[in-house]
Amino acid sequence: MKLVYLAIFLLLVLCAHAQNDDETIFDEFTLNIGDRIEIGNYRILFIEVQSEKDGLAILGVSKPGGTLDEQRVMLVNNANTFDGGAEEGGLTITVEEIFDDQTAKVRVEHKENMGTARKRVSEGPKIAKNVPNLIVKKNLDKGRLTVGEDVKVTVTVKNIGTGTASSIQLEDLPPLSEFTFLAGYPPKIKDKLEPEESDSAIYVMTAVNDGSVKVPSIQVKYKDSKENQKSNNSAPFDLIIDPKSKPQLNIEMVPSGPLPAGGQGLLNISIANIGRASATKIKIESDIEPSVGFEAIGLDKTFFEIPPGKIESYSAQLIGKNSGNYTIILRAAYSSSEESMLSEMQTEIVVLEREYKYLYLLLIIPIMAIAVWILKRYREYKY
Amino acid sequence: MLNVLMLGIGQCGNRILDAINKEAFGGSMINKYCFGPKFPSRVDTLAINTAINDLKELRFTLAKDRLHVPNLHGVGANRYNGKQAFWDNRDMIMEEIEKRGDIDITFVITSTSGGTGSSFSPLLIQELKRRYRKICVIIVAVLPFREEGAIYLQNAAFSIRELMEAEADGLILVDNQYLKRYSGDIASAYDKINSMVAQRLLFLIDSLDSEMLMVTDLGDFKTVMSGGLCIGTIGFFQSDKKNPSVKSAIENSLKPSNLLYPANVYDDAARAMVIIQGSKEYLEVDEITKEIERLSASAGQVFKGLVVKRGYPKVLSVFTLASVPELESLYAQAARAIQDEKDRKKRAKKQLTDAFAHIEDMDEIY
Ligand SMILES: Nc1nc2c(ncn2[C@@H]2O[C@H](COP(=O)(O)OP(=O)(O)OP(=O)(O)O)[C@@H](O)[C@H]2O)c(=O)[nH]1
Ligand SMILES: [Mg+2]
Repeated sequence: MKLVYLAIFLLLVLCAHAQNDDETIFDEFTLNIGDRIEIGNYRILFIEVQSEKDGLAILGVSKPGGTLDEQRVMLVNNANTFDGGAEEGGLTITVEEIFDDQTAKVRVEHKENMGTARKRVSEGPKIAKNVPNLIVKKNLDKGRLTVGEDVKVTVTVKNIGTGTASSIQLEDLPPLSEFTFLAGYPPKIKDKLEPEESDSAIYVMTAVNDGSVKVPSIQVKYKDSKENQKSNNSAPFDLIIDPKSKPQLNIEMVPSGPLPAGGQGLLNISIANIGRASATKIKIESDIEPSVGFEAIGLDKTFFEIPPGKIESYSAQLIGKNSGNYTIILRAAYSSSEESMLSEMQTEIVVLEREYKYLYLLLIIPIMAIAVWILKRYREYKY
Repeated sequence: MLNVLMLGIGQCGNRILDAINKEAFGGSMINKYCFGPKFPSRVDTLAINTAINDLKELRFTLAKDRLHVPNLHGVGANRYNGKQAFWDNRDMIMEEIEKRGDIDITFVITSTSGGTGSSFSPLLIQELKRRYRKICVIIVAVLPFREEGAIYLQNAAFSIRELMEAEADGLILVDNQYLKRYSGDIASAYDKINSMVAQRLLFLIDSLDSEMLMVTDLGDFKTVMSGGLCIGTIGFFQSDKKNPSVKSAIENSLKPSNLLYPANVYDDAARAMVIIQGSKEYLEVDEITKEIERLSASAGQVFKGLVVKRGYPKVLSVFTLASVPELESLYAQAARAIQDEKDRKKRAKKQLTDAFAHIEDMDEIY
């Protein structure tokens, strides 16, 4: 019985050994253009990426002695067999992924007994020949501008690659609502640019709204010689558009305090131009609510001009006839260079109830006088 | 303007003086506190007394116008003690009077029957006459109620004599006994008499100092007071709406019932002065003249003064008398009283000596 077990064990070991010799294994490599893989007698060369977009790469496979020398365009994730494929003792090669126009991931399957696959890095330039590379820049002639101002935008495209770029197109992303575009928009540059060649386009736009604007990147789209679509973006940047310079009048009213009924007071008024342009033909008009019981003299006034940052002050006389709360409304109508403007301000004036506070003195004084007099008299007659 | 000094001496004099001050205030307490006294001339008042309580009682006289002559327990109706007190304090009293400045006329108001007033006054008048040569001194002497007692009667008798001897310019009599009829109780009788005297004296001063036409002056007054016995009195009448006739006002002012001392003007007057005050329309010259003439027929000299002032006629008559029968009867009464007093004293003394006789020649035995 023991012999039988032993025989079965041996058989199994033998079988396993026999299977192992026949094993198909695979290796994966990330290759740059010009890199090679060597396995057994085979040499695999990564020649170029034919189309990133379509997933096509060109690889060459050769054997010494000229028995095999083949260049093949391989589609990503499609297996290509050489000498009947790995099962038959040949090779199966698959491009698994194309990273860019220089780099791809490749899988090589083979029989184990062919040895280990080795990568040989190419010493020559890695850049593929005939590859265009466009960079794009957008420049404004001003770092800061004001609503209504024009700005000149220069778009420059330069080919820093090795191949000719064709079908070049510029696209602003997106066109800015803060601007109206006057001339030269959309920008046009040459359809084709040879390596080291550059071209620029200029357009002019006007700021229409104020605020802080993020100027987006401009995109250049082009094709290389193999009709591969490529693109590049300029860097976005920030821009501040200041509001248009206008005058702005600020009215300030400072009353001298609550008025006693029947009393008088002062109202100091200052008109400050806190805008950035001169206000002209300033006309100040007033309203008092309620209109009876209170009077103000000298509220209305005209000024020819108040330059920016300047203050005009004057004062009005207030006459409180009846007690109550009154509102003085001042309206300043003025002109800027192109429009009429209006500023308004109101203030409360309190006219106090008639004060009887010190009136008792009028009573007390004579009473005291009489008391003193009577006391004096009393003393004179006291014996 | 006349400089008048009113001296009120003793309780009676003090109280009449206070009444004069009250009259000058228009009689009201409020006026006293609010306004000054309104005298017609420059009038000074001075109340003099030995009894401080009498001075304290006064209401309308300034404290500085009250002079207390310090004397232990008063003089108690004793004129000897009164005289002694005056001599002891004469300089102080005269100094106080001197402070009043110039004096044209002095009224010395006193009762004749008390101790202080009746003894001070004659001496004071002598002093005044000595110091102020040109001064005119008029005594206002109050006679007692006859039933007030022997001492009062005796005091009255002696003091009147002394007052007459003091050579004052005249003596105006005010008889309590005669005026008693105005009021039931003594206190209100005093008040009534005092205010009557006060009113008349102020009216008199007013007319003496008036600057109007047809007025009497101090000289006229002195002439009147020097007539007859130099003893006189004052009559007064104030007419009203019912009878504003100046004729009846003059008549009334001379009637015994309106005098301060009982007298018959038409029979006894030696000299007279009639002062008539009132609105012009009432002062009918004819009637006034007629009345004055009627009086002149009996009295030797009548001075007439007219003061035009709003109101119904007021008439003041001042006159001196040629005879004073009432005074004589007072002296008779006084003499009787003195005699009775003497007899009573004798009898009592005899009784006592008789009583003591019982223990003559005896000794105390223990
Ligand atoms: N008309 C009048 N007579 C008064 C008044 N007071 C007192 N007599 C009278 O005056 C007399 C008394 O004299 P008084 O003045 O009181 O006495 P005196 O001078 O103060 O003297 P003494 O009191 O004795 O120190 C009495 O006959 C009273 O009737 C008064 O107010 N009016
Ligand atoms: Mg007395």
